[in-house]
Amino acid sequence: MAQTVGAIEPGVREGLVNGSAMAAFLGGGIGAFMLGLVVFLNETGAVSLPALYAPTGGLSTRAVLGVVLWLVAWGILHSRWKNREIAPGPVYKTTVVLIALGILATFPPFLKLF
Amino acid sequence: MLFSERSIATMMHGIVFGGAPLMGLAAALFYLYAARAKGPGAPDRPAPPALAWVTVATAVALWFTVFAGTFVVFPWYRTPPPAGLADLSQYPRALVLSNPGTAWLHGFAMETKEHMPWIAAILGTAAAFVTTRYRSRLLNDDSLRNMTMLFLAVCLAIVAWASLLGVFVNKVAPVH
Repeated sequence: MAQTVGAIEPGVREGLVNGSAMAAFLGGGIGAFMLGLVVFLNETGAVSLPALYAPTGGLSTRAVLGVVLWLVAWGILHSRWKNREIAPGPVYKTTVVLIALGILATFPPFLKLF
Repeated sequence: MLFSERSIATMMHGIVFGGAPLMGLAAALFYLYAARAKGPGAPDRPAPPALAWVTVATAVALWFTVFAGTFVVFPWYRTPPPAGLADLSQYPRALVLSNPGTAWLHGFAMETKEHMPWIAAILGTAAAFVTTRYRSRLLNDDSLRNMTMLFLAVCLAIVAWASLLGVFVNKVAPVH
């Protein structure tokens, strides 16, 4: 997980530290992964989800749930990191892995393996 | 009428809402690459407001695309035909599944389009946020710029791939 380099000094403009950007990036990675996880669990039958909007079917629930989880993750990270300078390396590596897993979990040929 | 309401809505989803991000993402990516700081002695300068506007407009268009696709067009696509109906031309999902040669358009193409574009909307929004909030340091901070470019590139790849698959599906089984 990310290492905190240091808290911002009082009076320094918030936009100058990278915490909000790191929160957006890692939040995006978590969002992609959570959406993929929801799709994987639902499409493989591990978890049954009712349709939020019947004409669209289960897709409505999977999509909305994935977006909600992304917003929650981003909000939590943003509130914790917005005033900090965060070491970018670990955040980037984690984010890339999460995005790759999220895309893989929504790729139909992969889902058909299970 | 030349085009039905459903056909027009599908074109709005695919060409207007889906086409705008293709242009916006390509433009933002090109700018971030071309305007990067050249060497350690290069003067700091902020990214132009237009770049932020382009990424924000792109993110908005992406959300319009996924919401219109999921909640407007997709229900028309998946409507089941009445039992025993021979002409399936008004029921795209049933039409592509009725022929083994086109069944992949549902099992692969449409199922890819169902979920993956939502990831693009998420990544595009994160990139728009960073581009807007960090306009002053985006061009001079390699780590920020590179990660923003990666998000935009992945987003562009997903949108282009989903658009291509959408063209295939709509060519064989258009929504009328």
